[in-house]
Amino acid sequence: MFKFFAAYRKEWLILIRDPAGLIVLFLMPMVMVVVLSMVQEFGWSTISKEPQVPVLFVNLDQDSVGNKFQQGLSEAKIFTLITALDSIPITEETARQEVLEGNYQIAVVIPEQTSERLRAKIRLLVSKTMTSLMMPDNDILSGVTNNDSVEILIYFDPAVRNSFRNAFLSATKEFNSRIESRMIFETFQDELRNLFPKFNMPIIDYQESVYFKEIFPSGVEEEILPSTTQHNVPSWAIFAMFFIVIPLTSSIIKEREEGSLIRLMTIPVSYMTVFMSKVGVYLLVCFIQFVLMVLAGIFVLPLFKMPALELGTNYFAIAVLAIVSSLAALGYGILIGTVSRTHQQAAAFGAVSVVVLAAMGGLWVPVYLMQGVMKHIATFSPLNWAHAGFLDLFLRGSTLVDILPEIIKLLLFFAVTISIAAIYRTLKPPVSK
Amino acid sequence: MTPSESIIGIRNLTKYYKGTDTPAIDHISLEIFRNEIFGLLGPNGAGKTTTISILSGLFPPTSGEVTIDGLDIRSNHEKIKYIIGVVPQEVALYPTLTGLENLQFFGNMYGLKGLELRQRIDEYLIRFGLEKFARKKVEKYSGGMKRRVNLIAGLLHKPKVLFLDEPTVGIDVQSRNVILEFLRELQETGTTIIYTSHYMEEAERLCDRVAIIDTGKIIAIGNPKELVEKNPEFKNLENLFLGLTGKGLRD
Repeated sequence: MFKFFAAYRKEWLILIRDPAGLIVLFLMPMVMVVVLSMVQEFGWSTISKEPQVPVLFVNLDQDSVGNKFQQGLSEAKIFTLITALDSIPITEETARQEVLEGNYQIAVVIPEQTSERLRAKIRLLVSKTMTSLMMPDNDILSGVTNNDSVEILIYFDPAVRNSFRNAFLSATKEFNSRIESRMIFETFQDELRNLFPKFNMPIIDYQESVYFKEIFPSGVEEEILPSTTQHNVPSWAIFAMFFIVIPLTSSIIKEREEGSLIRLMTIPVSYMTVFMSKVGVYLLVCFIQFVLMVLAGIFVLPLFKMPALELGTNYFAIAVLAIVSSLAALGYGILIGTVSRTHQQAAAFGAVSVVVLAAMGGLWVPVYLMQGVMKHIATFSPLNWAHAGFLDLFLRGSTLVDILPEIIKLLLFFAVTISIAAIYRTLKPPVSK
Repeated sequence: MTPSESIIGIRNLTKYYKGTDTPAIDHISLEIFRNEIFGLLGPNGAGKTTTISILSGLFPPTSGEVTIDGLDIRSNHEKIKYIIGVVPQEVALYPTLTGLENLQFFGNMYGLKGLELRQRIDEYLIRFGLEKFARKKVEKYSGGMKRRVNLIAGLLHKPKVLFLDEPTVGIDVQSRNVILEFLRELQETGTTIIYTSHYMEEAERLCDRVAIIDTGKIIAIGNPKELVEKNPEFKNLENLFLGLTGKGLRD
């Protein structure tokens, strides 16, 4: 133990002798979390609540359909409706041209007579229905054919993301359904009033009967509603923590290149002691990085009008998961640093492999959206285990016991990687000649 | 002090590196006696560093036997680490630590601590004229100062056998002189020194015996003066060395 502490002190002294490097080590992950959370905020918010995406809106109808669409899209708060450019009302041709040139991603055109044509079509349907029930009444059918279609034109920029396109189409279809339902209801009322004028039927306002209530199985969501921050901060924090691979491999290779490792190999001290002293120091670095990133989530993100990170109350479980995630990252870094011959090898492989493991592990694209074999492969990434654990703690209100499988997998990963590194070093000593 | 008792026994030592069919050292056998300064001399790639690396326990031989102070190096690897001290060819120090911090660390790795360690460090720092620079970072040292600290780091635990791989390469005359004088003093205290060098004049002055190695084989062994006397066509060790190993360039 004495040798471990002596080696730990040495590692610590080396680390603090490079204050610029230390600042970068602590500052960059914070910057990364804030910047990438801000960037990703856009992706989430297009399907959540912030009115950010501009949509050109051309209301040639100027009747109930056009007006209700305009009102509905505005109230949805996903979009910012633009009806005039440079104070000039937008025409269909202008809208088409603007989207074609990529200046805007979406344009909605409600053609002339849309409301009237929809009404006529509904009247025809209602009339047919009533006729089949009561008596033929051909007056309503005059001038209306069954093939009349009502079109709303939507221009999409080809560069627009499919997920956003689908979200927009869903929203417009939903408005249309509401408008159509209301019209059918009102037409039926009118028709019945016409058929039975002596009953003096009251006018009933159409109200939607079904509301959707979001219920979260853990029961804690009343306190912590899943926000973009709750998703983004754990993802980027894990990603940043695994980037400890770069300074750690650099420390290992430097020790080898400077010859100190050769001396250490002739001294009665085990490789494990040497490795573990590095783990001890860099574990502290990782943990401080994590705390700083969490603090950035709590205090810095709100400065940019983003939701603050909510930690909940399970601090102990969060700390344990942060420590074992760091250990997994350190084991991986020690293995890469040990088997790499040069700084370039270690830096290139280390950085790229962390990005691959992050992508593979569902840090950017959720695992539930992955297809086929990728869904299976994702479960082999240590970043996936760490991510799953943090999502459980931050979003599902899980406890330490719930995330035990992830903790065990991360610890095993650390044990296996550091053991392979020690065996490799024993079998392949760092002697140049 | 008269060397007589063997402290290192090497029999048929052979080393093939992976992927090569030419041995780096080829069936070397020799005895090194207690308290002697033994020089391993040879051109680049002759097998000097490979021999020292095997004796230091850095990697095992392909075949052959080595005993140090009666202990087989294969089965007593860890015990032997307490007996030997190694001063590598590279300046094996942490450049961002001070000389004192480096020495404290390496002393700690031998299990030394507290006052005992501090006294030893101070003693050596004074002996090598480094006491004023103990708290300066090694990266600020001159080449000679680095070599001196590099040597001290291998001596702190007072080893019975000291391996020095080109300890005076690239340093000024004064630093070299201090190191060579010190090695003589160290021999007087009972330490056996195995030393490699390219400086023949230095080896002739310092070593009790030398072995000239080329292409992994010992081609001459004995006291430097006696070797020259036995080969009167050569006026000194350097001439003898060039005569035996040739004047062609080595990589």
